[in-house]
Amino acid sequence: MLKKRLIGVVIVRDGWAVQSFNYRRYLPLGKPEVLIENLDRWGADEILLQCIDRSSEQSGPNFPLLNRVGSLGLSTPLIYAGGIRHAADAVKVVSMGADRISVDSILWDAPQHLESISRELGTQALIANMPVHVNNNNLFWRNYRTEEEVHLTDRILAKLPLEWISEVMLTDWSHEGVAGSFDLRIPALCPLVEKPLLLFGGLSEPAQHRSMLSKPSVVATCVGNFLNYKEHAIQKIKQQMSGIPLRAAQYAVEAELL
Amino acid sequence: MSRKSIGIVDYGVGNHTSVQRAFHALNYRCRTTSDPELLAASDVIVLPGVGAHPAAMSALHTRGLVEFLRERARGGQPMIGLCLGMQLLADESLEHGATAGLGLIPGQVVSLGPAHWHIGWNTIEVVNADKLLLPSDGHSVYFNHSYVFNAPQEYQVCVARLKQPIPVGVRRGNVVGLQFHPEKSQHAGRIMLRNLVEGLTCA
Repeated sequence: MLKKRLIGVVIVRDGWAVQSFNYRRYLPLGKPEVLIENLDRWGADEILLQCIDRSSEQSGPNFPLLNRVGSLGLSTPLIYAGGIRHAADAVKVVSMGADRISVDSILWDAPQHLESISRELGTQALIANMPVHVNNNNLFWRNYRTEEEVHLTDRILAKLPLEWISEVMLTDWSHEGVAGSFDLRIPALCPLVEKPLLLFGGLSEPAQHRSMLSKPSVVATCVGNFLNYKEHAIQKIKQQMSGIPLRAAQYAVEAELL
Repeated sequence: MSRKSIGIVDYGVGNHTSVQRAFHALNYRCRTTSDPELLAASDVIVLPGVGAHPAAMSALHTRGLVEFLRERARGGQPMIGLCLGMQLLADESLEHGATAGLGLIPGQVVSLGPAHWHIGWNTIEVVNADKLLLPSDGHSVYFNHSYVFNAPQEYQVCVARLKQPIPVGVRRGNVVGLQFHPEKSQHAGRIMLRNLVEGLTCA
């Protein structure tokens, strides 16, 4: 059967992996490649490389970083996010080793590009990331560059050509980086009914993952900073998730192949 | 003993980097090229691919590789199609209208229908007792596709289950197609790639 996924997230700013708090404060962690290599070794189901300053600076995807990550020879599927402006960017990102892409700014600036990206890469390769937070039991979608928010309603969603994306990542931006703080109401408040959901932001505890992954609409939970505090963090979370249809914890055994 | 060589078809579409790294990690010599001579000199030709069928076939035609790949397959050179590369082996695809494929394995590529997409890790079940894939029976591998290669049962070598079983591995002689991404399926994928290369080249 198709498994639900635990996705490891590496947030990159100014070329460095950072520990992020609400996408407002940052502490440097080191080279992104090192963290990505750890996630690969620990058996993450997918790895999301999220370069958060590329769209703000209009600088396009971080190709030099992708080149370095590509040279690692990852055996785990890689999702790249950051600075993708159009189909040509997306195709180049995939040619350099990413398997899927996640877009955010393009939803605000040029949603018409979703179709051309999808026609090049296939709809299955395209994820929409929507930073959200709950206020008065309503879900608000945030443009992280302008800091404007709109009430996420059917009317707003109808303006987006979401038929060209396969999954939606809902990021609880105001709780991101704060352990155990993900707002568990988010999936229920989201008016999207036909798109599988990925959840991110403040998901640190196995009980939270279990609660969210038990929902039919949620296909993946994502973890960022919290994976960096201990060795084999992915396996340790998975070991506490019995009964949830996750792929079993994996352990590196490459040496026996050669 | 010299290391076996993998010729990865470069037709401007897809994820050559990942595929090349995976075969390198298994200690094979790899060339990513669109040069027919170099591909013909390889022990195994690998046809990767990400994206849509019409654009991929168009790219193969532009590089003059369609007839070349047909000839190599007819001549018995081992060939592995990965993901979209598997779908290119079919007679035709209905993605964005009907497009002729390489016609190396009978069948038609059609939409997954109500399921829309097959994304993530799923277990494969080996059918027709294919010896090269049997060690991978029950393993979880990574999928990322929205179309499926409906090959006749005699050519199916493995299936995965959504609501219904769907063919995710096909084989006709030395030509093998895999709908999933063994290069991104961690240990399970690398075991499978090694078994395929060694099995297809042992004759």
